[in-house]
Amino acid sequence: MRFWFQSPPAQRSIKSTLIPVVLLLVFCCLASLFYGAGDVGPSEVVAVLMGAGSDDARFVVTELRLPRTLIGIFAGLSLGVAGALMQSVARNPLAEPGLLGVSSGSAFAVAIALALGASTATLSVGLAQLGALIGCFCVIGVAQMQGQRNDPIRLVLAGAALSSLLIAMTSLLLLYNERAADEIRFWVTGSIAGRNVDQLLSLLPSFVIAIACVVYVARPLASLALGERVAIGLGYKPGRIRLLVVFAVALLVGAATAIAGPVMFVGLVVPFAARALVGPDIRRTLCLCLPIGPLVILSADVFSRLVAQPAEMPLGVLTAMVGAPVLLAIVRAHRLPTL
Amino acid sequence: MSLLRGLGRSASLAIGMLCALPVLADDITVATKYGDVKVSDQIQRIVTVHEGALDAAFALGFEPVGAISTRGGDGVASYIQDIAKKVDIVGTSRETNLEAVIAQRPDIILASYRLPAEQYALLSKIAPTIVPEGKGIRPDGWIREMRVYAKALNREQKAEEIIAQVSDRAADIKHVLEAKIPADKRGTSLIRWMPQGALVLTTQFFSNGLLAQAGFDVTDADLIKRGRPHSSPLSLENLSKIDNDWIFMATLDEEGQQALAAAQQSPAFARLDVVKRDQVVPVDGQLWTSASGPIAANAILDDIQNLLDTKVQYP
Repeated sequence: MRFWFQSPPAQRSIKSTLIPVVLLLVFCCLASLFYGAGDVGPSEVVAVLMGAGSDDARFVVTELRLPRTLIGIFAGLSLGVAGALMQSVARNPLAEPGLLGVSSGSAFAVAIALALGASTATLSVGLAQLGALIGCFCVIGVAQMQGQRNDPIRLVLAGAALSSLLIAMTSLLLLYNERAADEIRFWVTGSIAGRNVDQLLSLLPSFVIAIACVVYVARPLASLALGERVAIGLGYKPGRIRLLVVFAVALLVGAATAIAGPVMFVGLVVPFAARALVGPDIRRTLCLCLPIGPLVILSADVFSRLVAQPAEMPLGVLTAMVGAPVLLAIVRAHRLPTL
Repeated sequence: MSLLRGLGRSASLAIGMLCALPVLADDITVATKYGDVKVSDQIQRIVTVHEGALDAAFALGFEPVGAISTRGGDGVASYIQDIAKKVDIVGTSRETNLEAVIAQRPDIILASYRLPAEQYALLSKIAPTIVPEGKGIRPDGWIREMRVYAKALNREQKAEEIIAQVSDRAADIKHVLEAKIPADKRGTSLIRWMPQGALVLTTQFFSNGLLAQAGFDVTDADLIKRGRPHSSPLSLENLSKIDNDWIFMATLDEEGQQALAAAQQSPAFARLDVVKRDQVVPVDGQLWTSASGPIAANAILDDIQNLLDTKVQYP
């Protein structure tokens, strides 16, 4: 187990790791187009891609599976990067938007909107992002009380408490409004089915801002990992870096939650796998999170379509089934590293 | 043979009436799921903890003092709101507020066949509680239930009249429908629209039974697994499986029209043939998927009649 947390002795070059991962991602994208809960099989999909194929097949591929694949890529990217950022700034391999209450803050904001009469089709991204931001500040605030910053368990406990509080409040809201409950039940477990590309496009501006932030903070964040003094010595301001990271995380998680619901554990699994492959340097981890995030979401989503035909399983159920064992493995590992 | 049987029946009726005469001023014994229950024939205060029981009690000429709220609402279902203005809410279909029931000082409590034994144990301490035998969801389940409630309320004859009136009316509508819609165009499914797709409701449903009685061919498109009341929400890729001659569409709240608007935003739904032909009928989910009983039956038949009058032309 220990091997997973230490950088491999001779650090593999990032290129030699990226290439197979990207190939795997391409393979997953194709699977996401080729397989679904319906009757349209790979040969028909190929026909559609070549410009032929029946109307039904064309509809399924271009209107259902393609948007879904794009949204999966987007959500995986956002959650993977957000997870890596949170773990780095919290110096804690368990920090994850889903576990720490950022996603539930976002979901709570969305539930309020639904209870007030909005519909899932017209969800405001800004609102979900605001909820994520508040969730972020709450959990960091709680964890830093009494100044014990480096206690990983404290952070996770604070996050879990906040998360359950927000989930309880969300359920309370839904109890009073069954229409919203009906509307939100599927959304709350996380799903990328039935969303359209317009919704995705409306997320792009905030996504671009978030990625710009990430590019800007990557280097300072790496030096912060060497210690606050080193970072200050190099001319960075740790407070400002952390603030930017929280901002970027809120934008990313809010956008992903608005379009896919609170998908748990992706932000935990993805950076975990990335670090295992290229070591703890945050810049390398972030690079690798870019393809691994979509890879995880898409493979879970393809599986979710195939297990319950002609219905579908919610994506969030599958990511939790994969993510929970990883969480246990990290906790049970001999040495819990501080990042 | 039938003469003999007829004689026997009148004889037993006469004996029954003779025996009943002295009992009338006393108690009525009702066979229920949890054994025989004795109730007074001087019932003043009725509490219903089942939507079908509220409906039946009003139809039989009583005014219950307490009832549960309908699924997806704060009060009784909107179809019965005008009649049931003064009824106090004593819980939801999931949970009865026992203190609220006690506060009503009921003489009798009318419950659904689904009432669990633990709940029965508590309710029957407050007042005699009538729980009909039930055999799962059946299109004529409301009739069996109504007969038990009517026996407890001593209005059996009135119940039979009401039941006959509903089935006569359905038969009348069927005549019109058969004249207006050709035999191969009567396929129908009842669905509930959810944001992620559609749920097909069982053909054994109360409202589906009435659709069938009124002449529609009700199907579930083989989507419902054995032992399950409804299908799982269909994947959007499989939505074409519910394409039918007619679709009746309900949501949990009363606004069927809103559900239709929401559904039409989904490209997978909008491209169904039945949608293009404009033969999706939005219906009140409180009435069509939650209620039961004779007043509800008549309200549903109103909807069907209205559909035939306004949307279907003679060929």
